[in-house]
Amino acid sequence: MKSMYIHIPFCKSICSYCDFCKMYYDEKMVLTYLDALKKEIDSVYQKEVLQTLYIGGGTPSHLSKPCLTKLFKIIDTFPFEENYEFTFECNIEDLSLLLLIFLKEHRVNRLSIGVESFLEKNLNFLNRYHTKEDVFLKIALAKQIGFSNISIDLMYALPGEHLDDLEEDIDFALSLDVSHISLYSLIIEEHTKIQIENIKPISDELDLKMYQLIEKQLEHAGYVHYEVSNYAKKGYESIHNLTYWNNNTYYGFGLGASGYIDNVRYSNTRSLNHYVEGNYRYQEEKISQELEMSNEMILGLRKLVGISLDDFYKKYGKRVEEVYAIQDLLDAKNLEIEKGYLRIPKDKIYVSNAILVRFV
Amino acid sequence: MKQENIRNFSIIAHIDHGKSTLADRILEITGAVSKREAKEQLLDNMDIERERGITIKLNQVQLQYTYKGEEYYLHLIDTPGHVDFSYEVSRSLAACEGAILVVDAAQGVEAQTLANLYLAMEHDLTIIPVINKIDLPNADIEKVKKELINELGFKEEEIILTSAKNGTGIKELVEAVIERISAPKGDKNMPLQGLIFDSFFDSYKGVVVTTRIMNGEVKVGDTIRFMETGATYEVTELCVMTPKEKQLQKLSCGEVGQVVASIKAIQDVRVGDTFTLDKNPASLPLPGYQPMKSMVYCGIYPIESTKFDDLRDALDKLKLNDASLVYEPETSKALGFGFRCGFLGLLHMDIIEERIEREFHIDLIATSPSVIYQVTLTDGSEIEIDAPTKLPDRQLIKEIREPYVKTSIFTPSEYIGPIMELCQNKRGEYVGMDYLDTTRVNIHYDLPLSEIIYDFFDRLKSSTKGYASFDYEIAGYRKSDLVRLDILLNGELVDAFSTIVHKDFAYTRGRAIVEKLRSIIPRQLFEVPIQASIGAKIIARENIKALRKDVLAKCYGGDITRKRKLLEKQKEGKKRMKQVGSVEIPQEAFLSVLTMDDK
Repeated sequence: MKSMYIHIPFCKSICSYCDFCKMYYDEKMVLTYLDALKKEIDSVYQKEVLQTLYIGGGTPSHLSKPCLTKLFKIIDTFPFEENYEFTFECNIEDLSLLLLIFLKEHRVNRLSIGVESFLEKNLNFLNRYHTKEDVFLKIALAKQIGFSNISIDLMYALPGEHLDDLEEDIDFALSLDVSHISLYSLIIEEHTKIQIENIKPISDELDLKMYQLIEKQLEHAGYVHYEVSNYAKKGYESIHNLTYWNNNTYYGFGLGASGYIDNVRYSNTRSLNHYVEGNYRYQEEKISQELEMSNEMILGLRKLVGISLDDFYKKYGKRVEEVYAIQDLLDAKNLEIEKGYLRIPKDKIYVSNAILVRFV
Repeated sequence: MKQENIRNFSIIAHIDHGKSTLADRILEITGAVSKREAKEQLLDNMDIERERGITIKLNQVQLQYTYKGEEYYLHLIDTPGHVDFSYEVSRSLAACEGAILVVDAAQGVEAQTLANLYLAMEHDLTIIPVINKIDLPNADIEKVKKELINELGFKEEEIILTSAKNGTGIKELVEAVIERISAPKGDKNMPLQGLIFDSFFDSYKGVVVTTRIMNGEVKVGDTIRFMETGATYEVTELCVMTPKEKQLQKLSCGEVGQVVASIKAIQDVRVGDTFTLDKNPASLPLPGYQPMKSMVYCGIYPIESTKFDDLRDALDKLKLNDASLVYEPETSKALGFGFRCGFLGLLHMDIIEERIEREFHIDLIATSPSVIYQVTLTDGSEIEIDAPTKLPDRQLIKEIREPYVKTSIFTPSEYIGPIMELCQNKRGEYVGMDYLDTTRVNIHYDLPLSEIIYDFFDRLKSSTKGYASFDYEIAGYRKSDLVRLDILLNGELVDAFSTIVHKDFAYTRGRAIVEKLRSIIPRQLFEVPIQASIGAKIIARENIKALRKDVLAKCYGGDITRKRKLLEKQKEGKKRMKQVGSVEIPQEAFLSVLTMDDK
């Protein structure tokens, strides 16, 4: 067991597109929550040495000093591997000198920052209220404190967005010169503000053009496109997220978190009451070998490098071609094999679901 | 049971005039079912019948009623209401001495009221005219009475007024059945003649035959012979529905009931055939048996090709109580193995397809329906074509003839314009028009049957706000300038989409089909051209653009469950699609070709 995710579901304000498990920040509630979180971790985690730790939300960076202290009292005891990756999710508004120093002192070595956009109209739509000046200032500050592994999130395909708007966003993002950029096409999820307001997605044609523009500009700037929505400078791919895509096991702690341990995939309750009463789990599913192989394909083919055919054989004792009929997919160039890796060709990644259904 | 105390009768009506509800009330008043048991439309025991509110299969039920101190046995024989099933109607009427003619108090006499009345008169039945739904606020009893008297020749004192909804007039009606309809004739000492007017398959008992004994009697243990097919079986069980099943030792002349004889061979039993005793057979079968003539043909294919044998079983079982269904195996390049099926009409086709899907759980693809074309080849030989793909090359054809029908369209006069326009668009030939009274007209058109089997009925209803009704009879073959219209997907001909159309309509229909398919077939991983062609000539083309985006951007903190659910749903959708060449075609695409809007 080398990876762990911890969920902090509290936010100062709710983003219009967010369907993660979240609620408004309340100091007392947070303290109660952290007590329960400690209990959950203590009941499961055996203090194995961690390679990656990811604290996400919600908005973990919005925790007050006492809450942060309480959270890190739990974390400070975790042993890390030498080349560990410890990511902490931050909002631009929360990034302060004090916070950054605190995180640095407590072994955080990667920041994942929700920039989302540099354009005012986009930020308004997303219900985010920082400015592009804030972004430049705060990221410069983080670098100054010594954070060299910084990831930013951007959103595109927002209603009314043009290719020009996106190009502007990309230019700003590149000028930040961070090590990792995630770019997410807007998904209008159930029960989000934008879904309730009946916001319509942009056309698939434009969405694809945006995706292609992103790939072209970021690759030109030296980033490696390594997963559907993720780009990194060489050597800065997210180790933690690769755990997911490599179908490896990981702990998931906190409200609404999901994890994968001992052949069981589980997700936690989204009810704070249940959680603080110690009823953490919402559902558990035992993963059969068939399901495990299917997950391996579905997750692994998100990576542009694809799936190592050797590794698959080593893991399952069967070759991919024995388990799945893929010849017609290869013939139609919906899959390709290169240097022992099976992958979805670059130009088909954006329609990968149509291919992945074959592995369900 | 005294023969003179038996009354065999049917209820006939135009569709929707309340026949089934009336039957329910008669069951109630005779105590056959309590009101509480009486599910709406009790006689219609198939789901589809209940949902569509129409009766597809006839049924029989025995009722007891004491009248003036005598015990009477009333056999109510239910009949299908739609024009597609007129042979079955005629067989069940042959089992009766009388019929109740139901006319809706608001709608009055309609096309099928007349058609069914004529059928009943052909069988010399005593007719009891009933005006039903008199409780309706828009009931016009006086007007409908006038129609019955002036147009159909009934006497005023014969007419009974009922409301099946609230039970008015039902007692009077039942007593009229006893008073006016004669007891069955026939002689129980003569050799056995049993008329088969229905049959169905029961998985425990085998084929169950529904019969009216015309002469003689049949007992449990007798060996019977089906006169048309020559098959013999030993009777293991006799019963009558009351509507609960009641076992009997014998069925005598005049009675109606069910015969069970461990019959496993479905094709041995044919509706309209006569059975007799093997030892002491009747010299002749009862008159009136006719093998069915299918009017409409289409190919039926299982979406999953492994279900071909299941489909054969399903058709075999349906054939049993539907003598009119015919089928033989056929192969389609696009769809694999299936059956070419013949139907009495479009409704019949619809119902069979739905029953296969619903009762046998086989997902189907049906090809465009076709009529039978007569083709004279250049070498002088004659062939008949029941599928567009069987049409020979154009240069081999000297002449093609297609079936025409004579239609009678009954309509309030304000819709004459739209109806004539519709008929002209359907290559109709105007014959004439009769005014039934100042507001109602009977319009006569000769129309190609192939035009009717598309969407004529729907269009007629929509262009007359549902007021018009129509009836048709086959009126022979006429020479037509017909061509085969093919559809190509990704350059490959999909035979299931081929249709035979009039040359003048080929371009419009080709255009319409291509556009419709573009809107129905989902984007694939590559661009798919759709073309309509006549021979080698492409007359219309559209492209289905390649899929642009079908991806889940986020990774949800590693939670794969959501992603799986999404993919599983997507896969479920694929199951309803047929892979033809490299293109996945949804089931609706095949259906949509039937319901083209010609612009």
